[in-house]
Amino acid sequence: MNHLFKTRLHAATFVLIPACIGINYLGKLFASVLKLPLWLDSIGTCIGGVLGGPIIGAVCGAANNLIFGFTTGDSITLIYALTSLGIGAAVGIMARLGHMEKLSGAILTAVVAGLTAVVISTPLNVIFWGGATGNVWGDLVFGWSQSAGLPVLLGSFLDELVVDVPDKLITVLIVFAIMKGLPKKLTSLYDVNDEVEILD
Amino acid sequence: MKSISLYVDKDSYLTRLHPFAKMVYILAAISVPFIGGALWMYGLFLVISLGFLISGGILKKVFPLIAFSFTILITIFLIHGLFNKENETLLFRIGALAFYREGLLYASRIGLNILNMLLAFAAFVLTTKPADLVDDLEQMGFSPRFGYMITSVFQIIPQMMGTMNTILDAQRSRGMETEGSLITRAKAFIPLISPVVSSSLINTRERAIALEVRGFGSKTKKTFLREHRLSGGDKGFMFLMALLIAASVVWRIVYGIH
Repeated sequence: MNHLFKTRLHAATFVLIPACIGINYLGKLFASVLKLPLWLDSIGTCIGGVLGGPIIGAVCGAANNLIFGFTTGDSITLIYALTSLGIGAAVGIMARLGHMEKLSGAILTAVVAGLTAVVISTPLNVIFWGGATGNVWGDLVFGWSQSAGLPVLLGSFLDELVVDVPDKLITVLIVFAIMKGLPKKLTSLYDVNDEVEILD
Repeated sequence: MKSISLYVDKDSYLTRLHPFAKMVYILAAISVPFIGGALWMYGLFLVISLGFLISGGILKKVFPLIAFSFTILITIFLIHGLFNKENETLLFRIGALAFYREGLLYASRIGLNILNMLLAFAAFVLTTKPADLVDDLEQMGFSPRFGYMITSVFQIIPQMMGTMNTILDAQRSRGMETEGSLITRAKAFIPLISPVVSSSLINTRERAIALEVRGFGSKTKKTFLREHRLSGGDKGFMFLMALLIAASVVWRIVYGIH
């Protein structure tokens, strides 16, 4: 348990973070090439969290949005740096608690990550967008909730909920499948529980 | 290789302005209307940003950025114009849809905020080279390790895009369908993404070893090839922006909200 937030800051972690950011970018790109109604832009953040722990996950998430915000002009993503940070940290904590080893644990992780994202994004959506998210399905729910006279905060919460939880579920399942296929010589680079034995 | 950065390689006073000065401009453009709370302040900064973009000769590059957020703007106008809780005064009707004044006013405030942010960021993004930004950050004392992290994102992404295209072609030539119904497209996602992800993660190991060999972990102080200091003009600009922010605080105290 005391290893929960332990982080190794060596060259391997500083290489992992850009790779994760690249993976986030690819996920988003594939989702748009295949015209999927999901974001899938946090696969890398989740991998960062699982491999490097909550702190690396959080750094991956925040850096991802900050870098894209400041270089691709997509200032909208900048606001959601907080959300990404939360997702990375949540997945990292769940992974360190040992939940990413079995499929059931992975689903639990996904739910936790999804809810974290919803809780952080909802106030941001309300402040910056008046509650909409820009996702067609989510905004249909939001439009419905507003026409039914529900409060904006609740409507936006539902809007975010119907998009984020399935999105994170699929993301974490993909991450789970990928992590199973990674060679041990790679994962051992980031393992904090290993011990170095000296022969002499 | 195509870069993901939107930097336009053009020598203008905007590209010569220190990145920090432009960042302070973004801060002012966002915080002044937010603190001051008056609608005309958005207009003021929209005009200033447009002025920057036009005088820098990069106005054309902004349109794709605006088009990108256009759908969400329409959604906001539709939802709030039709269903906002404070809707009372009917403004106009299109068929069975009734648009109300209060909701549209609320939506236009949000829309102006988004547009303002987009343009202020565009003035920064289109005139700042990511590598220069990282260099300047490091000269101000930002950790060079994190600096490396940012620059390498710009190297890794084009590489990954190359791999992605190879894999897309390879899977298609094996007969995988990437077009069709939602289920077909969703099924295509995993065989496409997992090889790219695994291979790029496996590559990190070699990259890490290469970095260690070149003294990445070294604790000695780094020196710079090109020293870039804040000029008098940069400082003057930043001071002006600080004044604007201070003025908006005064405005808020004197006039209250709206």
